[in-house]
Amino acid sequence: MINDKNAQKIVDIIQNFARKHSIWVLAYGTGCGAIEIPPTMTSRYDAERLGVRGAATPRQADVLLVTGYLTVKTLKRVVRVYEQMQDPKYIIGFGSCTINGGMYWDSYNTIKLLDKYMPVDVYINGCMPRPESVLGGFAELEKLIAAGKGDGATE
Amino acid sequence: MNTIYLLFTVLFGGAILTFLLGKLSRILYYIVFLLTMAAAVFVFYAQIRIGDTVNINVDDMQLQWGLTAFGWLFSLMVLGLGLLAAIYSIAYMKGKDRLGYFYLHFLISIGAMLGILLSRDLVSFFIFWEIMTWASYFIVVYSGKDVQKTGIRYILFSAIGAYAMLMAIVIIYGQTNSISIDDLAVNYSTFSTSLQIWIPLLLITAFAVKSALMPLHVWAPGAYANSPMAYTAVFSGALSKMGIYGMVIVFVTLIANLPQGVIIRDIIAWLGAITAVMGTFWAIAQDDAKKLLAYSSIGQLGYIIVGVAIGTSFAMMAALFMAIMHALFKGALFMAVGAVERQAGTTDLTEVTGLIRKMPWTFIASLISIIALAGIPPVGGFVGKWMLYESLISSDHYLLVILIFFASTAGFLYCYKFLFGFFLGQEEKEWEHVKEAPVMMVVPMMLMAVMALILGVFPGILLKPVDVAMQSMGYAETYGHLWSMSVLFNEWGNQVMLEPLFYAIIIVFMVFLVFLVLKGMKGTRYVTTKDISTSGEIPLEHENLTFKGNFFQPFLRAVDPVMKRQIMTYYRQIGDGLEAFFDFIRRVYSGNGQTYAIYVMIFLVILLLLKDSLFG
Amino acid sequence: MGEFFSLLLGAVVTFILAFFVGITYGGLTRIITARVQNRIGPPWYQNLLDIVKLFSKKTAIHHGAMHFMGPAFIMVTAVVSVLVIPVLNEGRWFPNLNFHGDLIFLLYIMTFGPLGMALGAGQTGNPNSAIGVTRGLSQMVGFEIPWVMALVALMIQYQTTSIVDLMTIQVETGTWIAFSSPFAFMAAVMAMFGMFRYAPFDIVGAPSELASGPISENGGKYLFVMMTAGSVFAFAKLTLYVDLFMGGADNLLILVIKTFALYMIPVLYGVINPRYRTEQAIRWFWGWPSFFGLLAILQAVFF
Repeated sequence: MINDKNAQKIVDIIQNFARKHSIWVLAYGTGCGAIEIPPTMTSRYDAERLGVRGAATPRQADVLLVTGYLTVKTLKRVVRVYEQMQDPKYIIGFGSCTINGGMYWDSYNTIKLLDKYMPVDVYINGCMPRPESVLGGFAELEKLIAAGKGDGATE
Repeated sequence: MNTIYLLFTVLFGGAILTFLLGKLSRILYYIVFLLTMAAAVFVFYAQIRIGDTVNINVDDMQLQWGLTAFGWLFSLMVLGLGLLAAIYSIAYMKGKDRLGYFYLHFLISIGAMLGILLSRDLVSFFIFWEIMTWASYFIVVYSGKDVQKTGIRYILFSAIGAYAMLMAIVIIYGQTNSISIDDLAVNYSTFSTSLQIWIPLLLITAFAVKSALMPLHVWAPGAYANSPMAYTAVFSGALSKMGIYGMVIVFVTLIANLPQGVIIRDIIAWLGAITAVMGTFWAIAQDDAKKLLAYSSIGQLGYIIVGVAIGTSFAMMAALFMAIMHALFKGALFMAVGAVERQAGTTDLTEVTGLIRKMPWTFIASLISIIALAGIPPVGGFVGKWMLYESLISSDHYLLVILIFFASTAGFLYCYKFLFGFFLGQEEKEWEHVKEAPVMMVVPMMLMAVMALILGVFPGILLKPVDVAMQSMGYAETYGHLWSMSVLFNEWGNQVMLEPLFYAIIIVFMVFLVFLVLKGMKGTRYVTTKDISTSGEIPLEHENLTFKGNFFQPFLRAVDPVMKRQIMTYYRQIGDGLEAFFDFIRRVYSGNGQTYAIYVMIFLVILLLLKDSLFG
Repeated sequence: MGEFFSLLLGAVVTFILAFFVGITYGGLTRIITARVQNRIGPPWYQNLLDIVKLFSKKTAIHHGAMHFMGPAFIMVTAVVSVLVIPVLNEGRWFPNLNFHGDLIFLLYIMTFGPLGMALGAGQTGNPNSAIGVTRGLSQMVGFEIPWVMALVALMIQYQTTSIVDLMTIQVETGTWIAFSSPFAFMAAVMAMFGMFRYAPFDIVGAPSELASGPISENGGKYLFVMMTAGSVFAFAKLTLYVDLFMGGADNLLILVIKTFALYMIPVLYGVINPRYRTEQAIRWFWGWPSFFGLLAILQAVFF
């Protein structure tokens, strides 16, 4: 709607600033990595300082946190959940299982490389990552959003 | 011929003509029926003036028929609703049998209601009252099922009321030797005190049965639910108001002159408030849309009775306004239920679902009517409720205000249940075939809904005839003092200006609706109701995600202690007790000749013993 | 025409004021909740960032026409409430429609929003929304009773139904209505718990209970409208309480202080409480708060 290049840039800056500091994570623990989410959100490693909040349904969420391994069954549901989210949306691959299969590298039932199925923006390494790593991952995501990159669907 | 005779000839003659001519061809049914209704409306509004009277002399009683302003007000409901329901019933009754029977009794009941409004004397009032009950009874049992439960119950309670009325009429005739209502009003204060109390009580019993006041309401849910929806619109819209008509006359002419009248007023007002609350509770518990609306009618009539019983001019205005609004929106709602019943086959709220895309016009009419029922501005029900609250507060009935407000807030629950049950919610495969109702069914509904909307912004349109009617009953004029075209005042000088508020509401609504639709319009796509956030699970076509059963379970659990006892149980217990008593008496007929001989002997002995005191 | 434009301008200014004050209160609530839970919490403008982010969502879904109308209805409630409730003691800076409506109209308009939202949520077909709506409506019946009792007591005692008149009475007599009708104030504050839907009465939209209930299918622009409406409506309700019970406000600073002090009551009570089930909540509202409401009416009638 806005034709002026500079006006578009200003709008983008404001929007990215807001998106950066208000990240709503879908409360969906897909694997055993989800156990590190409660400590991150609660008092000791407060993630709400960064504006990170839990969202109840995919319609309200920005970030899908794929925590850990995905079985084939769960993959089907996670893809559907991802499709139900609204743009702009991001995926954070949480734990080693999303990077190279992690602990279940030779299982018949899990998928090994998340990147082959869904466009991942940020990976957080570890099995399970400590809350400080999780906060670092969110900070990484914030940098991506501020730079205007990471709109995962385009990748 | 005098126009009043013409009116009755048109209606009753037209009824018989419909019945006979329709046997030749079905089209004739529709044509003659509609012509009769249209002719009746024309004759009534074009030819009969207020103040016309007709006298008929039978033996030494003089029957008097004439139109008063108050009767004219109620005739708006009877004829307006009757005409729209007649148009609706053409499409509704398509394909059903025994049409002649239905149309005959429809027209007779309309004629009888007009007769009630036109009678200026008690005997013709009673005659038309009985004709009305009789005709509506036949329509209640039209479908042939539940005749015992609903039909007999209806006739029984109506008979109780009618005989109470007859007793009162006989007493009045014995006292004043005249049957005119005007003479009664004049001579009433000359009766003895006990008669002065008994006569209004008897008359109120009769009218309370028809307007479903607790505890005489037990016939109403079955009767409203069982009759065809085209007639239930008239039944609950206009017929129940005949009870209100009678009650207003009793309260204004009789009880106003009675020193102990205050007690009767309070009792009836409290009964009305309790009816409102309990009717609402029972409506929330219903799963069938017809029963839900029936109980809701009982509740709404409770509000009207409270207004009538309080009796100040403000309260009476509120009650009469609410009566007409109730006819409008309840008529539209019953028609909507009829439309859904015709298209979908059932009116069970736990089964039907998701009709909003398939029957949009029905939905819009129901939505506006439900908003009117709930009493939310800017639609008309708010005006009536506002006036009722203000009149109750300024006449010092504080606890009644709490009860009425409680009933009104709880009313939101069944309003939502009705809308959600039929139109919103999941869209299931078995209702895929449902199409919009035919035009002849939709147009009356929409007309009534739009009128409810207009009356919400410009209530003065309706308040003018109400004011004239009240002036004819002896109240002072209220224009400018309590209302003007679109402003409402109360007795302390506060006001609510409906027009600017209405514009504010509409402007804000449109602004945000347009914003929501236009923002990101290219990026917004339509998804079906199966694409919902169900934790990632993909619901299959046959899976049932409809939440309809045990709706409002938390609320019903919270009010459970109050709903444990039903009044019908007490009536059944009385009935069982009487049956046991009669069973006992039956044993007198033992069939044994020797027992009868003993009876004769005992009788003779008693006669002998008491012969002195009996035969002096 | 000039009057209409000044009214329109006043309405827009009032709306913007209500929006920003409501946003700030939301953010401050989150900080206070966080501090009570021994953590730091987001910055005070966090709700504003949330709202801008929701506005900037690029795609959306809809389930039909009613889905659009749901948030529009709730916005109608919020805006009309702000228009009808006088913001400051003299209407110079924030002229609005407050001479055109009164308390009973306000009562009914305040219930219009949740009902409209319920209709919008109904069309989505999500059973969670339907369950949330039934709970919300049932709870509304619960808290409306002490609220109406308190208001009726006020109406009887001061013989008026206009909010402006009640404010004038407080200015004239110099005492707050909170002190001259204490039972009404207590009943109204207890009803306020239900209105603001903080714990223990937050079962309606609890994320872990039923996937946030009525708002479960609303994201992006719908949630934008709803959060805005929620903030504006919260401000409207608080201003109503301050006008009715705490003497109104002469300037913005006093208004902000009074409304914030009042707002802390449900927030601080809620932050340490678990949830009631719906029927427990309804029965609680019909217990002590209604008793205080009855006492308020008795006091108004006899004293």
